[in-house]
Amino acid sequence: MVRSQSWLFRTFAVSVVSALLIAACGTGTTPTGPATTAGPGVTAGPGATETSKKGGTLFLLQPNTSLEWNQIDPQRAYTGEDLAFFGATIYRSLVAYKIDPDPVQGTSLVPDMATDLGTPNADGSEWSFTLRDGLTWQDGSAVTCADLKYGVSRTFANNVINQGPTYAVAYLDIPANPITDEKDKKSGFLSGYYGPYDKTGQEDFDKAVTCDGNKITFKLNGPHADFNYTTTLGFGAVPNPTDHPGVDSGETYGQPGHLAWSNGPYMVESYSTGNGGKMILVRNPNWKESSDTYRKAYPDKWQVDFGIDPKVLDQRLITPSGDDQFGMQYGGVQPENLATLFADSDTALPEYASRAISGFDPYSRYYYVNVQKVKNVKHRQAMAVALDRKAILANVGGDFYGGYGDGFIKPNIGADYAETGFYTKFFGQAVPDSGDPELAKKLITESGEPMPALTFDFSDSPTNGRTAAIVIASLGLAGITVTANPIPSGYYSVVFTNGHEFGVAGWGADWPNASTVIPPLFTDEGGWNLSHVKDAAFEAKIGEAFAQTDRAKQALLWQDLNKYATENVFAIPTFFGKSQTIAGDRVAPVYRWAAYGSWPYAEMYVIQ
Amino acid sequence: MRQPDHLRQTEKPVPEAYLIVNNLGVKFPTEDGLVTAVDGVSLSVARGQTLAIVGESGSGKSVTALAIMGLVNRKSASVTGEVWLDGEELVGMPEGSVRKYRGSKMAMIFQDPMSSLHPFYRIGAQLAEAARVHRNVSKSAARAEAIEMLDRVGIPAPKRRIDDYPHQLSGGMRQRVMIAMALMNSPALLIADEPTTALDVTVQAQILDLIAKLQSEFDTAVVLITHDLGIVADVADDVAVMYAARVVEAAPTNRLYATPEMPYTLGLLASIPRMDRRIDRLDPIKGNPPSPLKHPSGCVFHPRCKYTDRVPDDACSTVRPELLASEKDHLVRCHIPTAERREIAIEALAELTAAPAAVAGAAE
Amino acid sequence: MMAYVIRRLLLMIMLLFLLSVSVFLLFQALPSDPARLSCGKVCTPAILNANRIRLGYDRPLLEQYTTFVGAIFVGRTFSPDSPEPIICAAPCLGYSYSRHAQVLDLIAKAAPVTFWLAIGAFIMWISVGVSLGIVAALKRGRWPDRLIMGVSLIGYSFPSFFFGLVLLFFVVIQMKLLPIPSYISPFENLGRFLQTMILPWIVLAILYTAFYMRLTRNQVLEVLNDDYVRTARAKGLPERTVVVKHALRAGLTPIVTAAGLDLAGLMGGAIISENIFGLPGLGSLIVRSVLDSDLPLITGITLLTSTLIIVANLVVDLLYAVIDPRVRLS
Repeated sequence: MVRSQSWLFRTFAVSVVSALLIAACGTGTTPTGPATTAGPGVTAGPGATETSKKGGTLFLLQPNTSLEWNQIDPQRAYTGEDLAFFGATIYRSLVAYKIDPDPVQGTSLVPDMATDLGTPNADGSEWSFTLRDGLTWQDGSAVTCADLKYGVSRTFANNVINQGPTYAVAYLDIPANPITDEKDKKSGFLSGYYGPYDKTGQEDFDKAVTCDGNKITFKLNGPHADFNYTTTLGFGAVPNPTDHPGVDSGETYGQPGHLAWSNGPYMVESYSTGNGGKMILVRNPNWKESSDTYRKAYPDKWQVDFGIDPKVLDQRLITPSGDDQFGMQYGGVQPENLATLFADSDTALPEYASRAISGFDPYSRYYYVNVQKVKNVKHRQAMAVALDRKAILANVGGDFYGGYGDGFIKPNIGADYAETGFYTKFFGQAVPDSGDPELAKKLITESGEPMPALTFDFSDSPTNGRTAAIVIASLGLAGITVTANPIPSGYYSVVFTNGHEFGVAGWGADWPNASTVIPPLFTDEGGWNLSHVKDAAFEAKIGEAFAQTDRAKQALLWQDLNKYATENVFAIPTFFGKSQTIAGDRVAPVYRWAAYGSWPYAEMYVIQ
Repeated sequence: MRQPDHLRQTEKPVPEAYLIVNNLGVKFPTEDGLVTAVDGVSLSVARGQTLAIVGESGSGKSVTALAIMGLVNRKSASVTGEVWLDGEELVGMPEGSVRKYRGSKMAMIFQDPMSSLHPFYRIGAQLAEAARVHRNVSKSAARAEAIEMLDRVGIPAPKRRIDDYPHQLSGGMRQRVMIAMALMNSPALLIADEPTTALDVTVQAQILDLIAKLQSEFDTAVVLITHDLGIVADVADDVAVMYAARVVEAAPTNRLYATPEMPYTLGLLASIPRMDRRIDRLDPIKGNPPSPLKHPSGCVFHPRCKYTDRVPDDACSTVRPELLASEKDHLVRCHIPTAERREIAIEALAELTAAPAAVAGAAE
Repeated sequence: MMAYVIRRLLLMIMLLFLLSVSVFLLFQALPSDPARLSCGKVCTPAILNANRIRLGYDRPLLEQYTTFVGAIFVGRTFSPDSPEPIICAAPCLGYSYSRHAQVLDLIAKAAPVTFWLAIGAFIMWISVGVSLGIVAALKRGRWPDRLIMGVSLIGYSFPSFFFGLVLLFFVVIQMKLLPIPSYISPFENLGRFLQTMILPWIVLAILYTAFYMRLTRNQVLEVLNDDYVRTARAKGLPERTVVVKHALRAGLTPIVTAAGLDLAGLMGGAIISENIFGLPGLGSLIVRSVLDSDLPLITGITLLTSTLIIVANLVVDLLYAVIDPRVRLS
């Protein structure tokens, strides 16, 4: 994942944990795998009844290593924890992920504002959703199809609304921006439709997104079998200016002074950033429980505290007193506290079992390999097998950091994952975690070309410096010369344009479909092609996968593509990441919701 | 306000010494060893009289002055002997009591008036402070006194100048201010430590004249400390020559200039630059003063003395000479027999100049 | 004196101009692409270009500079195409898109924390450091002097961040003598404020105290040997007056300079102390802005803190002129 602006990136870069990834981030809609610890909290608190769960205040504690939320605007929010929290409290969506501790259940869709999961046409290039009755804004007015349509349109106004998911731009059937001359300011628009503020191309948008009473229809530029998943990202409703003039403030929507409008069970009462900043959510009196079968809305109030020192935050939750008993952590446990809380990377110690979680996060870590600079596939394979992943894992934090990866699709994505066998079978012999320099030498010999000298990019930190030393040493055993290229941590994203032969990166799926993994990483259209792959056959097969509406068959195609990318070493898979979080002792249920790798905010309550 | 007693000055009876220093010793323990700064110094000066203490730098003359004033830090130095001021012994007196006499019965002015005046305070404040510390006078009265005193020391437009800072005055003016400050309480003893050294030659004489004038007005006993025998002749009644922490010769001024007996004094006289001598005849004493850490055995001057062969048995380098009277009022610390000393002096002086008296025209 | 002040002011304006140019160019030269940094998760060349235009990085360098400096004097509008653009009134130091806030507002929120931290520590180190330094000088070579100098040596060689962590661990976490630090304004809750600030003050003051003990001791020892102090004694002033009125008045003047500049330096952010104790001051803001590559914020803080130092220099020099009459005419 790529967003350098996300909290996760900061957490990793700043804390000693690691920072192996380039810019971890974003959104993590990936289902969490079976390794997720599901504490006793999963089955409600002891003796809790529906009524006894009601009331009280829950606290979300944010570390000062993050901004006050990443983004609040429904067209901009893109990180898992933010999407999960706002989705549970103030933003409803057409469909949503089921709130369930089981990872498979937890990544399946259920209707929210829509009456069902949406209706595609025969080839999946047109999708319709019907809104249910009783949807309201916080002022009591109805949430209409026009509000949803307006929300989607804002994605196109990328001169104002940026950094959010751009699936609407990518998928909706709207002509491309005719202006391509980079000197023309208008060339900055991503589509021929310039969004609701500029309004150029409005008629094209109006054709692509249509309202028919309570029915909203999206015309897509091709088959997208999983488009209903797509609507969980960036398709949120915003009060349209015809019915609600002055609500959408554009750039500042959702910020202090321009609080976002709620259509969920809570509304933002106050929001302040900076010193002692807080966001307080109180019950939305106009929310109709009858219209919402999705959210439990147990607590009377949510309070989000910002800017807490991460070490202090850990301590407050490990030995909670006062309000901290009702608190939960935004972000991860600091490395120095892991041994206090966990027996191993999958299990909390008994006394913390009900409130500490360790398990897969949404991210796969890998070392991209620039295939334009290391053209010979045997050379790339030699790099992969020579790498001492065991020593690197020990350096970055051991098992708590993650398990060994065998490709780019993570097991917790569900159907699209299959073992690639790259490290077990592909070479006719198993490659040990600590690397196989002899095999690497053999591969270089087979290549018939001398191995080029390599430069390794990494975000500068003590931990990464040691990792680089391991990379240099282990590749050196296979006779490969590597030069380390540390980059100041804040500037790591320069590798996007100026990367060397290989370097550290990471990615997480946007929803449980490898269409949000393989294309972004290994095609130019994807936006994160650090490997600079330009492989026509590969891209053709990706097109095939997009068009395949049979999900089971599509899964097989993604599995093949993953295997192909791994065997051709477009990148070296390193680790499937894990992370750890903790809550206070009077919060339930405590588990990692697979949909966003987050707390299951929509069903959390205060243990009375 | 006290006025000087003119009657007394005109009568001028045989003065009784106002200051008597008896066998004064000052030793500083340092990291390198014990420094003997003053050793067995005895002096006396009466009101209206001027005693000059002459010596090279490091001879102990300034420390002697500071010891008299009680300004030698008793924590870091041992002071022995007696200092009698107006009939009271100061060395054995508690610090607090000596302080009361400083600035009132005895005052001191220093070599560099720039650094001796506090740079941050207006001169009026510094003068008034001197009055107010010893006498119960109001601020305005003290200020009026200060203006009057500035006027008396010859500062033009004292009413305006009183609000100047020291750096706004010329060197000569600053020294006048220092003198004014010293005289604020009409002390009976004024110690002037190289008061003209840091000044232009043209100003030096004015300052010395001023001191002399005020001395007669106030009937003050003056101790003038200088390395320059040239300026002594006009102003001093008596001279004490110091060398290596000791007084080596003391006599009334005229006598000392006419018949110096100690070879060191001779050397000093020979090195006075004078209008009637060509520069190349200037004849400084060869060698350097001894280290205060280790004074030579015998006569402290013997390593630089040209006449040690006149004394038998190497006495100069083995036996420490006493300060003995060669005549009434003329004390000399030398092993050379008195008669020979006089011969040496006559010879040396004749060699130096054709001028009949070595004393003449010493001051510019 | 007036001419002196005017000369200094002109010099300061020139310095500030050079500063703005160098800060601007410095951050241009950094190996980071602001357009890339504000890119979303999916960063295609088209999005990159869009961001470059959005942020104005497509404009010529000179135009970017004049816009940047112009904003300080006449303000600037950010995101002009938004239904409600962001009006950044003069003096506008920029807008942080990642924090959704004006740089000046961010600084204004963080500055009081740093101000209280710096002032509290300053009072501690000046009162303790200077008074002990004076004692050491007056008792030179004897046991109080040796004790104070020994303590100073320890304070010097003590790693203050380590000491801070140790204090935090034992006093707050183990013994629970103080609450977990969480900054609160003194006007809101003075008790909590003091409880939160006491450890940061101590940690910050330790190093400076050690330094000021030595500085003061050396200064006082030097002036105690000065001629005018001897003059003061010769006047018959009591020792107390000699020391306080004459020696210290002159001896402590250079300390005013040092203290003024140190205080100004701290006002720019006490990075280590603030980070150890999680105080949301300028130091923390600097660290975070650097880690986030939040260029407008980095630029704004750099410009403002350097300006602070320049102004502090001027103030200290003028103050010096007030204290030391000799400076006025020179």
